[in-house]
Amino acid sequence: VLEEYAGRVRLVFKDRPLAMHTLARAAHEAARCAGAQGKYWPYHDRLFAVQPAFRRADLVGYARELGLDRDEFARCLDERRFAADVERDIAQAQALGINSTPTFLINGRLVIGASSIEEFRSIIDKALQERR
Amino acid sequence: VYYSPIAALLALLVVTASIGAPRALAQIELSWSPSMVKGPPGAPVTIVEFSDYQ
Repeated sequence: VLEEYAGRVRLVFKDRPLAMHTLARAAHEAARCAGAQGKYWPYHDRLFAVQPAFRRADLVGYARELGLDRDEFARCLDERRFAADVERDIAQAQALGINSTPTFLINGRLVIGASSIEEFRSIIDKALQERR
Repeated sequence: VYYSPIAALLALLVVTASIGAPRALAQIELSWSPSMVKGPPGAPVTIVEFSDYQ
């Protein structure tokens, strides 16, 4: 969808690890550690491809495979440098009543669940029209 | 090598989303890290995805 609307749509990813997914929290923090080394999206894509292999050794391994500084990444993960940032995303989600994933806000309009591409197109087209 | 985390929170967006009962509106400010955004800053449409890796 992003490619289709190149230049007219941007995507923001927010962390919403669900409480029952015990390994997810570390994965969300790890992605931000990758982001600190300029590789947020490649790491993000990798996590979705391998879920739920999120033990510490797995997470560090993906960083190495993507050419990140392994030691720096491991320090970031072990210090839980981005724990508060993930927590803030969760708090914002809860303030919006978002309790299931994925949930999208398209210019403020709530879309719950993995919707069809047609539904996304229709909502995006409408949002683009409203902006004219 | 130590480096400071990316100075957080560039963009602030006021989101209006209808929650629960009709007409119940929550307005909160969302912030995000620049590394977690794809697409141009001036794009007319912003999709915010709340998701879980697991």
